[in-house]
Amino acid sequence: MKTRILLIGGFNKTKSLASSLIKKAYHVTVINGDIEKCHILAEIEKLDVFHGDGTKPFVLEQASAGSAGIAIALTESDADNLVICELCKKKFNVGKTIAIVSDPRKTEFFYRMGIDAVVCAITSIAGIIEQQVLIEAMENAIPARGGQVQLKYISISGTAPAAGKKLAEINIPKNAVVGCVLRGEESIIPRGNTQILAGDTLIVITTGEHEMSVVKTLTGQ
Amino acid sequence: MKFFKSEKKQGYTIIIGCGRLGANLANTLSDIGEDIIIVDINKSSFRKLSPSFGGMTILGDASEVSVLIDAEIEKAAAVISVTNNDNTNIMIAQIAKEFFNVPHVIARLYDPEKECVYKEFGIETICPAVLSLKEIDKLLSLGQTETEEDDKAE
Repeated sequence: MKTRILLIGGFNKTKSLASSLIKKAYHVTVINGDIEKCHILAEIEKLDVFHGDGTKPFVLEQASAGSAGIAIALTESDADNLVICELCKKKFNVGKTIAIVSDPRKTEFFYRMGIDAVVCAITSIAGIIEQQVLIEAMENAIPARGGQVQLKYISISGTAPAAGKKLAEINIPKNAVVGCVLRGEESIIPRGNTQILAGDTLIVITTGEHEMSVVKTLTGQ
Repeated sequence: MKFFKSEKKQGYTIIIGCGRLGANLANTLSDIGEDIIIVDINKSSFRKLSPSFGGMTILGDASEVSVLIDAEIEKAAAVISVTNNDNTNIMIAQIAKEFFNVPHVIARLYDPEKECVYKEFGIETICPAVLSLKEIDKLLSLGQTETEEDDKAE
């Protein structure tokens, strides 16, 4: 039997998380304190919905938290999320507890209180934005050093010759190197057997004069 | 009430939540010469403090670590969390105990079901429902014995 996952609180996050977990064939149960939101959540197929305050032991009991393998606390209040995870862990012996936290300074404290995974939305989003800023900065900054080395940021479309091929199969000019593959939120340092997919963005290091041939080999343009 | 008559302690007491209980506690402790810092999210809550209150007030959300640091929680001798939200009280109490090693931490919990989970943390909890229950039980049994005695007297 697939793991049972308990989602407590939250609405938009819960909705998309529940749908995607159900697609992966998990048994998902949602607890929400707002009856209107419960009705909307109940429209998702195969989703069990409980109405009640998830920080109350008897509500967790009703939702049979004891049989859940994973509990995820998604309410807006850090305190509620902490209490939910602690109750799940201590009272209902849930194997893995995950909490979102809005105050970044509490992340370490939450871990110390025995929560298995703590996600801080603010630091995560700030990190992603920072990454974007840094990539652009690199693109502009490195060529300035004598203009010899170029750091190119190349997007691979579905029709590009490189799409679907392994890196070793692509005949990349000698003076260029694919340093990193950005795929969704992942960044992969590629090897010869790394497959390039449509939608990937490659960070390519090359010397100035070979720039155009590299772009042509990878994207066909 | 030994607690109120005790000798002046080292360090100070932080009270979180200036409600009926928080404000009364702050007034009483301040009157006997304790150093008090009281924190509340609403400015108007501080009106409950008596004019003779000699402590400090901090306006802010005590569930944020930065506010607790402003209150110099690491130097506090005691933290008493009496906001109207159980979960907030639990979290503040745990932060005080585990993160800032405050020697004396007390939290008010309305829900007696949660009390058992938090006793083991070394946090002292006060549950109004349980206290009232005991008190009412005492009054009832007292009333009963009195009536019984009355019956006998008759």
